[in-house]
Amino acid sequence: MIGRGLFRSAGFRFGAVYALLLAISAAALAMFLWWATAGLLDRQTEAAINADAQGLAERWADGGLAALIVTIEDRLAQNLDDDAIYLLVDPTMKRVAGNLASWPPAVTTAGPWYELPVMRAGMKSLANVQRYELPGGFHLLIGRDVQVRAQLRKMLTDALLWAVVVVILMATVGALVVRNLFRRTLANISATSSAIAAGDFAQRVKLTGRGDEFDQIADVINDMLDRIGRLMDGVRQVSNAIAHDLRTPITRARTRLEDAALHAETPDDLRAAIERAIMDLDGIVAVFQALLRIAEIEAGSRRSSFDRLDIAPLLADIAELYGAVAEERGIALRLETPRHVPAYGDKAMIQQAVANLVDNAVKFSPPGGTVRIVATVSGMTSVAVSDQGPGIPPADQDKATNRFYRGESARSTPGSGLGLSLVLAVARLHGGELRLEDNRPGLRAIMLLPLPEDAESAATSQPKHDVT
Amino acid sequence: MHEAMSFARSFSTAGLWIALAAWPIITAGPAAAQTALASSDPMEVTTDTPAYCLQLLDRVSELVRLASAPVPREVTELTTEGQRMCAHGQTRMGIMRLRSAVMMMEKPDSPSDR
Repeated sequence: MIGRGLFRSAGFRFGAVYALLLAISAAALAMFLWWATAGLLDRQTEAAINADAQGLAERWADGGLAALIVTIEDRLAQNLDDDAIYLLVDPTMKRVAGNLASWPPAVTTAGPWYELPVMRAGMKSLANVQRYELPGGFHLLIGRDVQVRAQLRKMLTDALLWAVVVVILMATVGALVVRNLFRRTLANISATSSAIAAGDFAQRVKLTGRGDEFDQIADVINDMLDRIGRLMDGVRQVSNAIAHDLRTPITRARTRLEDAALHAETPDDLRAAIERAIMDLDGIVAVFQALLRIAEIEAGSRRSSFDRLDIAPLLADIAELYGAVAEERGIALRLETPRHVPAYGDKAMIQQAVANLVDNAVKFSPPGGTVRIVATVSGMTSVAVSDQGPGIPPADQDKATNRFYRGESARSTPGSGLGLSLVLAVARLHGGELRLEDNRPGLRAIMLLPLPEDAESAATSQPKHDVT
Repeated sequence: MHEAMSFARSFSTAGLWIALAAWPIITAGPAAAQTALASSDPMEVTTDTPAYCLQLLDRVSELVRLASAPVPREVTELTTEGQRMCAHGQTRMGIMRLRSAVMMMEKPDSPSDR
């Protein structure tokens, strides 16, 4: 149970993997060192014995048994390393030459290596020996005393094993450090998330300043929290706006109907009151429809239908549509666009946004003024609609795109205060922006949209349902 | 992160198998294949005995007798020292001195110091 609980912890798993990798690396290094040292000693012993055997075989071939016996005695007399073991026996296993008293019974086969315990001047030792068969049924045993080498190998093996144990301990400590570091970093994110879940939306994940992967995660989370904060502010704002701004027309419609019910004397009076109420309610319905439209745009659900467009004809249509209205009011409407104006998005949304800007410009332009629709393509596609009306004071330009915002100069003109909000939502959905500038006099509203190539590459690198 | 864990898991598993497979090499004896324990009773090495000391003394004496060139002083010293050590029970040390003396007489150009 405890084990399963431990393994559920990502920090523990990271630490365990670190420890395992370090231990395996250390064990691999120890194995290599052992092979390079103790293993080398063993290989040297075997090579010496094989060379010895070859030399003795040549002596046998050259001079027969007598020469072999002399050679063995010479080699023993000249064995300055004091490690040589020789034994030559006849076919009856009787000793002929060498420094062992009799043939070891267990050494029965030529080929394999044997570890032979020997007694040397009363001290126990160990020799590696090998059996060789000679012509005539003679048997030869050649070996070397490897006691010193065996002790060295044991010391080396013990040292390496202890080293591995130390490495494992260090790996465990390192793993705990890694796990704690992991937990500390995640605890920061976890604590911030808990505080936000409890209602403290001002909390943000602390950055370490190192710019590493954890800081990147913290950045993303903080951006997400900022976005959530803005959305919640927007919801709060809309709720307040609905409460304040729609209460008036609803109350007005109710009052008129109530008044008609109490005081209307003729059916015509009643009918007129009902028609006025219907108009008020139609206005309220239009406001709600606009709100829903903005919400739909901000949700980004229409982005999947985006395509490459040329909005030059669209601008021409809008100019023609509002041209008549402008002429009636004594306003000049000018359209200045290149032959092609590329964009990437939804034609209906862009059309509605531009129409809102032109509608505002015509609404707020005084008679004799000029409304200009200017489209340019330079790094981005720009559609600027300018008028010569009262404009929006610089201090209010930030608020002008808020839902239901109505400037002082707009109090006397009809409208719900949602036009610029919708334009801003459309621009952001298309990856662009809306800028409001002083036209001196009047307002210049500029909707900037990315070029199709830029918009398409941005679209492929973002998830489909990204909320602007 | 899932991919990193998966890679680390594979690496660790491979390393464990390598370590398990290589463990016999660490605990093995000679680098070649099988090494069997030949006998439980230690066998006496006959070249560690006072008798062998005397045998080497005889050999050195014979070499000195047959030598045409002057006998190096080291040979005399080694022989004397080896004989003394053998007589005092330091058989293996004495035998080493006598072997050095034999080497110096039989192979004067080979290094005999050990």
